[in-house]
This record gives sequence, C-alpha cells and structure tokens, in this order.
Amino acid sequence: MFFKHKHHHNKHHGHHHGGRKIKVAIAGNPNAGKTTIFNALTGQNQKIGNYPGVTVEKKSGHIFHGRHEIELVDLPGTYSLSAYSIEEIVSRDFVINDKPDVIIDVMDSTNLERNLYLLLQFQELGIPVVGALNMSDEAEQKGLQINNEQLSKILGIPLIKTVGTKGLGLKELMRNAVRVANGRINTTFRHINYGIEVEDAHHKIINSLQTDSDFCSKFPGHWMAIKLLENDHDAVEKIKENHKHSDQVLEETNTVIQFIEKHFGEDSEIIISEQRYGYIHGALKETLKHSKKLIGSTTSEKIDNIVLNKYLGIPVFLLIMYLIYQFTFTLGDPLGLVIEKLFTGLKAILENNLPQGVLLDFLTGGIIDGVGGVLVFLPLVVFLFICLSILEDTGYMARAAFVMDKFFHIFGLHGRSFIPFMVSTGCAVPGVMSARVLSNPKDRLVTILVSPIMMCSAKTPVIAILTAVFFPKNAGLIFWLVWLSGWIMAFILALIFRKTLFAGEQTPFVMELPPYRIPTVRGIYQHMTEKSGEYIKKAGTVILAASIIIWFFLNYPKPPQEFSTNQQTTNVEQTVDNSTINPVEFSYGGKIGKFMEPVLKPAGFDWKLGVALFAGTAAKEVIISTMGILYGVDDEAELDSDSSLQQKIKTDPAYNKLMSVSLMFFIMIYIPCIATLAVVRKETGTWKWPLFQVVYTLVVAYTVAVFIYQTGLFFGLGV
Amino acid sequence: MTSDQTTLLSDLIPGQNFKVKKVNAKGEIRRRLVDIGFIKEEPGKVLREALFRDPIEIEIKNTKVSLRRSEAELINVKVID
Repeated sequence: MFFKHKHHHNKHHGHHHGGRKIKVAIAGNPNAGKTTIFNALTGQNQKIGNYPGVTVEKKSGHIFHGRHEIELVDLPGTYSLSAYSIEEIVSRDFVINDKPDVIIDVMDSTNLERNLYLLLQFQELGIPVVGALNMSDEAEQKGLQINNEQLSKILGIPLIKTVGTKGLGLKELMRNAVRVANGRINTTFRHINYGIEVEDAHHKIINSLQTDSDFCSKFPGHWMAIKLLENDHDAVEKIKENHKHSDQVLEETNTVIQFIEKHFGEDSEIIISEQRYGYIHGALKETLKHSKKLIGSTTSEKIDNIVLNKYLGIPVFLLIMYLIYQFTFTLGDPLGLVIEKLFTGLKAILENNLPQGVLLDFLTGGIIDGVGGVLVFLPLVVFLFICLSILEDTGYMARAAFVMDKFFHIFGLHGRSFIPFMVSTGCAVPGVMSARVLSNPKDRLVTILVSPIMMCSAKTPVIAILTAVFFPKNAGLIFWLVWLSGWIMAFILALIFRKTLFAGEQTPFVMELPPYRIPTVRGIYQHMTEKSGEYIKKAGTVILAASIIIWFFLNYPKPPQEFSTNQQTTNVEQTVDNSTINPVEFSYGGKIGKFMEPVLKPAGFDWKLGVALFAGTAAKEVIISTMGILYGVDDEAELDSDSSLQQKIKTDPAYNKLMSVSLMFFIMIYIPCIATLAVVRKETGTWKWPLFQVVYTLVVAYTVAVFIYQTGLFFGLGV
Repeated sequence: MTSDQTTLLSDLIPGQNFKVKKVNAKGEIRRRLVDIGFIKEEPGKVLREALFRDPIEIEIKNTKVSLRRSEAELINVKVID
C-alpha cells in the first residue's frame, strides 16, 4: 500500500523533478551478504520470478531514492562469470541484454581478494560498477584496514563501506549508485592491464570485432574480446550467431591464442585468470593492512574442529538432521491436524445447512478437501524452511555436504542430497522443495525424481496397518524393513538415472566453506514467507484442481436409485458383507478399477485395491479410507483402531501375506501423491518431469510387485 | 625427479603447506579450480579430510575450500615446510 501510494506520488510530480527510472543490478559472491543488502534496500516491495527460459530465481524490487525511481534486480551469487553454470550465464546475459545503469557489487570485506575477482569481471562488461565493502565491521574486528579511497582510485569506481545486517552505509551506497547512473561520477573504464602480449592480442580481436558495427552496438567489445581469449564457449556461440564475419573473427582469435600460448607455455584462459588475480594482489598490497596478527584459532575453526572432525562429523550431522526432523514434524504435524479439524468442522457446518445434493457434495468432497489438502502441508513447509535457511545462513550447509559427500557420491549424488532425502521421509512435498540446496541441476533433478519413493508420513499408516494385519507377530520388524527398502530403492534408482538419463561428466564439488555467521531473524523470516507463498500459489492450485478431479472420479456417476446406500450411516457393518454393492463401484474410479483388474492380477491385486490405489494418488493415506468405504466401514475411529477393516481385510480370501508384501512395495514406489507432483512441476518448471515420474514409478512399482508375487507363488508362498 | 619436485595435492596429508604449480584439469573443473584460487605459485594448506579421506579441506586465498580427492589429483603442488 505504502509503495503504491509513493508510486502514485512520483508519477504525479515526475515531470517537475525530471526523475528518471534507474536500473540497478546487485551482484556479488555467495556469502558476501548480497541478499541481506537487497532485502534491506527493497523491504517488502519484492517481486519473484524467473530469468527468461531458465529456473534461476529472479528477484526484483522498486524503491525510491530522492526523486528517482529505482528498479533493483538481484543477480545470482557467483564467484566468477564463466560460461559453465546457468547462474553465471544468466548474470552476464542480464547485464548485456538489459544494460542496467549501474551494477552494485557486494563484497565481503574480510576476503577482498576473492571478491574483487568477480568485481573485475563485472567491470569488463562495460557497465559502471559501485562496490559495497560489506561486513566492514567484521573486517575491522579482524584487524583489516582497508584504504578505500586509494583502492577506489586504483579501480576507478566508488567504494562504500557497509554493514548489511545493520543497514549501515546503504544510503551512501544508493547515493553513489544514483550519481554514477546519472553520469555525475566518472567511472571511465580503467581496466586492468593484462601485460603487453595479452593486451596486443586483445586489441587485435577488438579490431576484428569492429568489422560489424551492429554486433558492437549489441555486445560490449572489450568483454567479448576477453571472453574469446578465454575460449569461452558461450562467447564463441554468440559470435557465430550474431557476427557478420564470424569466420574471420574466430580465425583471428585462434591465431592470437596460439601465439600467446606459445609465448607463455600455458593456456590463454589460465593466463587471464592469473593476470586478474595478479592485478588484485598488486592493488591490495598498497591498500590493505593487517593491523594485528590473529593468535590462536578463530571461532569458526573451533566449531569446525568438532563439526568437521573425521569421526564426529557424521554423528553431529545426523543429530542436527534429527533435531530438524523433530522440530518440523512435531510442530508441523499437530498444526496440520488443527487445519484438518478446521476443515472438517467447516464441512459439518455446510452439511447441516445445505440441502443434500451435487452442490454440497462438490463443496465438501471437492473444494474443502482440496483446499484442506493444500493447507495441511503448509506448517511443514514453514517449519522446514525456517530450519533450512538457518542451516544455509550459518554456513553449516556446506559442512553437511563435506561430511556426507563420500557416501552420496557412490550413488552419483552430492553430499547435500542428504537433506531432501531426509526431509522426504517425513513428507515429500517439503522434501522436493528442499532439493534447492543443490545448485547443480542434474543432482537436483535426480534427487527430486527418487526421494518421494521413501517412506513418508502419509504412507506410514497404510504400511503400518498392512504389517499389523498380515504380520501381527513381527509387525515392527517388517515395517522397518519396508522403511529401509525405501532408502535402498531410492539410492539404486538414483544410480541408474545417473548412469543413463543424466550420464556424463559430473560437475565439480569444489566449494567454499564460508566462515560461520549468525543468521538474522529478518533473513529467515523473509526466506520462509517467500517459500510458503510460492508453495500456496504455484503448487496449491494444481493440488486443488487434481483433488477435485479425483473426487469426481470416485463419486460419479452415482449408482442407480435402487442401490443408493447412505454413506452417512455408521452402523452399516452388521448388514454389509463383502459382496455388498457400494456406490464407488458405479463411479468412473470403480470402473477403472474393474477394467484394470486383469492387469493387476499378476501382482495379486483385485479391483478394490485398484480403486484404492487410484484414490491414493490424491494422498497416500487415502488408500485406507477408500478401502474403508469399499468395505463399508466409514467410521474414522474404527479405521484407526484394531477394527473391522482389519478384520475384513484379514478374512477376505483375496488377501494374503504374499499379496500384502507385493502391495506394500507397490505403495512405497508407485506414483507420488498429487501434492508432490505439483511441487515437482513447480520446482522443475515443466510438466515433463512429474509426468516422467508418474510413468517410471508405475513401471518400477508394477515390475517389483509382480516379481514379488509371482516369485512367491512359484515357491508356494501364496496361501 | 627434477630439482623442482612436484607432487599431487591429493598425496598431501593434513597440516602440510604447499604452493600450486599446475592445474592439469580441463573444462569446467579447471575453470572452477582457477577461479577459486588455484593459480601458479599460490600458497595453500591442507586442513583436514573427511571420513574415508574424502573430500578434503584446503585453505587457499584466505578461504576454506572443499575438494573431492579426485579433484585434488588434478593439481600439481610443491610441498613447503
């Protein structure tokens, strides 16, 4: 509201003051506090979207600085601007195509060398840069004295000391950014000198590039020339696609690269990186002083001595995961139940006040169950993302990957995959969302595809009832074996996907273990609200729509009049036996079940199970309630206790131990619930992957179930 | 053996200091290693190893960096005392 008001105000007076809309890109290394500064500058006026064509998140915001309207765009955090990761390509393409007026590069003052390496690469893109010397308080504590005036002269850009977490220096930062954007501060490009040979080569390539003036107005020539010298494949592509005389340019590039490599005895790509670091080294030699030598180990090192200890590392990690799991599910589940109760209450109110009929059916069975189905997961999502952002913001996430990598690497996964796996044993919805901790898209996709196979809290009651009915003596052991087999199957499938669909070179593990930092409440809050909002908006709509479709399939068409039994009657059990007609049998769902029976037979399932499994795609726990309806047991209390449903299943000749094993494996593996599929769709950005997941899990589940059942029959275990 | 003896970074044990001599990788992995600071003559230190000696933690350019052993095999270093 505040923002809208201001916006209006600006429009109204805009002409008088001549304020121009300024576009500012915020860049920086990971862990340099870029997000904190972006959040502090934009507050709640943020828009979250994606960069065109990729799933990299794009945050932007509008603010006002004096009479200027400013659009801030948050670029992904990267160490470099090579063409090897989507984030890096997205960053540089944004700068080239959208031509921001100024780039603010947020740097960690305690580690300027590494942070300036990125800054120089942004400078090469030909857009004015303003540097934020962030975490300057931490640098001072460490006894680092930065002569920012001198450094600013060397780099030819304004440098402003900031403390993002406390909001210090941000006004000054924006003031400078605006002045640079308006051309009041001259940041004429004082690019680094790469040495005579490289500069000469660089010059030759620029000359060759200038044979196409259209190309030169589109792409920064200086940057293009450096990237060509670096053998950057994306730059080569851009030349091939856009330059009139691409052949000559590439030929010239090859000639000069050959000359340089002969001269230095090293790849030109490496020479350029070394020159960059060399330049930074020189600049910092003059401007950075250590006023005190650090004695003893830092707090970070002390923590790492325990957390990364060879033998303690994994137990500590498992303990932390256990705490997160407990926190998320012991707080989230009861809240989920409360939400469920609210919706049950709402249903009762409607049932008491509306006439029986299609409208009431639709409202209670379709809409309310659907919306409830979205909201029951919300507490889990909220608590989980609180935990995950604490892990990320403190710097522990990188340690977790370090500790777990060896084991996960065996299956072609990354150490961080453990987190989505672990969370999925509670619920695959937040599990799939938490796969965001993986920055490599292949690792992330494989993890998303296999983690829903594990036991989740919705499968738990289903498997528990089946083990209780068929293995009353060692139900616990059997349950545990099924739980374990979930993990094993997920790992085996991950390995198979890695060797087939996602074959090829693995991306490097190389990563920074950042110093531990205390997360800010604001940062965590912002992260949590963002993720929950996304979940409700994007996944919620799909879940709702799908629940309505499944409800329809199980309830329509209605049975002919003479059979219409009353579902509200609770004491039907005395009068109903297995052969009793029930309404589901007439529905599309029932028809599908019957139609599928010949296919299900080899796995040992009858049509009733077919219907229950179909309904289970809405949510796995629905398998039980559907079986309850099919057996004419509609009282929830009875479903939970050692009840008539269990008795009925037990005495039904269609069921036996062997079939129950085949069924349990089928339930573990087959189609993830709709909520999960909706989240997979949201996280991967396409319907391709959830559809693939439906197909492959069905195939695997069916194969495994048939194999178990037929092998069992062969050895005479069927009866 | 020449006077300029080099070994692989993966052969070092925690506590040893080194100077980078050459990165023998190609493509993305080389780029990542160079970007994060494995450039000629850069000093560094092996800090620790995880269980089963993989991955390893290195200090380079004032930062702690983690590498898989297979990645450390691509880096030639000279041990310094």
